Amino acid sequence: SADDSNPAATPTPCVDIQGDDRWMSLHKHFVSNSKDKEPDVLFVGDSLVQLMHQYEVWRELFSPLHALNFGVGGDATQHVLWRLGNGELAHISPKVVVLWVGTNNHGHTAEQICGGIMAIVQLIKDKLPNAQTLILGLLPRGKMPNPLRDRNARVNKLVQEAVSSLPHASLLNVDPGFVHSDGSISHQDLYDYLHLTPHGYQAVCPTLHTHLKGLLEKTG
Amino acid sequence: MSGDEMNPAAVAQAVVDVHGDDRWMSQHKQFVLECKDAEPEVLFIGDSMVQLMRQYEVWRELFSPLHALNFGIGGDTTCNVLWRLQNGELDNIRPKVAVVWVGTNNYEHTAEQVAGGILAVAQLLTCRLPKTKVVVLGLLARGERPNPLREKNAAVNGFLRSWLPRLGQVQFLNVGEGFVHSDGTISTRDMFDFLHLTAAGYRAVAKPLSDFLLQILEETPEERRAMLV
Ligand SMILES: [Ca+2]
Repeated sequence: SADDSNPAATPTPCVDIQGDDRWMSLHKHFVSNSKDKEPDVLFVGDSLVQLMHQYEVWRELFSPLHALNFGVGGDATQHVLWRLGNGELAHISPKVVVLWVGTNNHGHTAEQICGGIMAIVQLIKDKLPNAQTLILGLLPRGKMPNPLRDRNARVNKLVQEAVSSLPHASLLNVDPGFVHSDGSISHQDLYDYLHLTPHGYQAVCPTLHTHLKGLLEKTG
Repeated sequence: MSGDEMNPAAVAQAVVDVHGDDRWMSQHKQFVLECKDAEPEVLFIGDSMVQLMRQYEVWRELFSPLHALNFGIGGDTTCNVLWRLQNGELDNIRPKVAVVWVGTNNYEHTAEQVAGGILAVAQLLTCRLPKTKVVVLGLLARGERPNPLREKNAAVNGFLRSWLPRLGQVQFLNVGEGFVHSDGTISTRDMFDFLHLTAAGYRAVAKPLSDFLLQILEETPEERRAMLV
């Protein structure tokens, strides 16, 4: 299908160029770790998901919902697609999958990234027919306005349209307004203008938590 | 030998923005801004090992009270740190101690070159801040199981142990013992991605480091630190 030519929608393992094979170690760790777990919620995506797991907010809001965290720093849509297709969903059947990925798809267009996200949604549907996929909108990045902010905003718009007709998928905008009136983002919220500080997560997570609880109640 | 100009790891280099949001330069400019009104006693400089420390409780509990500045940028190499220090990040601050933690990202350099790059950072600090004590932290082991990068980082630490004592005010401190278990593995409880420390990992590192810093600050003659008197 058209997606074959879309690099963002082609399952791709991350090739180890550093020499300690950490990406594959993490993937295998997730698969083996999931064997004795029965999570109601699976978080999957890039470092924005991975770092959420390191701060208090995870213990306060998401552990109680029986959530697993399969976030890997640096991942793009094609990496998540490969991971989910190669064992990470084999031993679990969460009611909700929270998906946050796409800001690392460097060199891809907004359309390709949307295609990558929708390929993941389809894969989740195939493997977990009864699960809901909650896609989190990509956050703005960079201290001042820049092309990546525009691209991320466009991805959110395209994904929003694509999921409007799907009963099993929805997009949630979790940006509490990180961009100030002068167009700047504060390092108090995103310490490197990309990754959230604990303070940034405190601004993002309550909305997500409330919405997630609503979804879980609906799926019964 | 080491630290000479020909060592590529000792050549100052800014990060060229390839993604389009210029985040490296924005972080650098933010640090230069912080130099204007801060009077830090301790300066932390390095890569994500330094940058992430600031996001955890240990920073607020153990290092903020020491009036510490954190100039860590994820992904930085010795070359990037050298450039930053030469382009404003040392202007009008005179910390009593500078903590350097960089080198694990120097993928294109040999262990000896990396050690030479770290030495160049230490030399730049002692040259620009003659009264400042410099603490160079050893590179941590990485990866779930034994791998070439662990051997390389250990070799870097070996070079540093033998070279750094020649620089009067520079001390080497290895904070990484204990992360590699007897079966050779590293646990995600200590390093969530087999590289970056968790909150628990930082707690294991922060205690010996803050004790070491307190001892150095206490030895600083000219102004007895009020809280230590
Ligand atoms: Ca929908």
